[in-house]
Amino acid sequence: MYDPAGIYAKHPLWYNNIDGVGELGMGFMLLGLGLLGWLGIHAPKGTFWNQGYANLIFLGVMSAVIHYGNKAIKQRITYSRTGFVEYRKRDTVWRPMILGALFAILFSFVLKEALRPHRDLKTLAAVVIGLLFTGSYAYSIARTVRWKWMVVPVLALGFLTIALLPADLVEAVANHSRASGMPPALLGICLLSFLFYGAVLLVSGAISFSLYLRHNQPPAEEAQ
Amino acid sequence: MNQQVRTISELDRVIHEPGRLIIVTLLYAVERVDFLYLLHETGMNKGTLSSHLSRLEEAGYVEIAKTFRGKVPQTLLRLSPSGRKALERYRRKLKEAL
Repeated sequence: MYDPAGIYAKHPLWYNNIDGVGELGMGFMLLGLGLLGWLGIHAPKGTFWNQGYANLIFLGVMSAVIHYGNKAIKQRITYSRTGFVEYRKRDTVWRPMILGALFAILFSFVLKEALRPHRDLKTLAAVVIGLLFTGSYAYSIARTVRWKWMVVPVLALGFLTIALLPADLVEAVANHSRASGMPPALLGICLLSFLFYGAVLLVSGAISFSLYLRHNQPPAEEAQ
Repeated sequence: MNQQVRTISELDRVIHEPGRLIIVTLLYAVERVDFLYLLHETGMNKGTLSSHLSRLEEAGYVEIAKTFRGKVPQTLLRLSPSGRKALERYRRKLKEAL
């Protein structure tokens, strides 16, 4: 049944990305993870980027930059222009945790299937990762702002292109290595997918941020 | 009086007013928001929004707290447990009636 109150209740959740900062954070994270993976594979053995602690330091710094950067933008720009919203723990902790767990289960299923030698590992991985990323973008971002539906076909086309890349090229991206016990083709697909999706999110978030600044002026100074 | 008409007549009139219904629905989805957010989201003017909030506060549906964000005064609003229940009851009754 049509329930306008139920639909309207979703507006505050959509507000979280009104300034595009959510996408920027996610884009930085995926690009950072892609870059970290790339460095770990391509850096000569024994260098800083091959050490386990390097990953921890990199992830720690990246998470801190994203968390505090997001907070600073919200406090200095968003809250003073369009207001402050504090979300319920259910929406900021539990739901993302459940979604993350579901994603991990799906991803491990892909990995398990992909490790069977007779399967077309590269295409299967690219299609599943592409569907997950494109679906999550459409569900959580595109349906909140109409113009972002234009990004969905771009994502689909990009992931299709990644799926159709020659296996040699994909394995070369992973430097033909088996880091973390993953086959090179799967590693290459993961790296390319993370870098591509991260870049798209950054561009989409940057456009949202500039549109937000243009359409929401800063508050007028108080009269002295 | 048939059942549907009776259900409609029993709707909570504090929440049934469109402006207040929008406010309560927005507050239902979050922990708390500030006045500026409601102003931006509802498109009401300050006077109308204040008057609706006062009515909701009188009914015990909304809790209002005055505070400061740095040096700027900030009014924080939260749906009380009774406000949350009232909206759930209102939606249930409206669905029954329609």
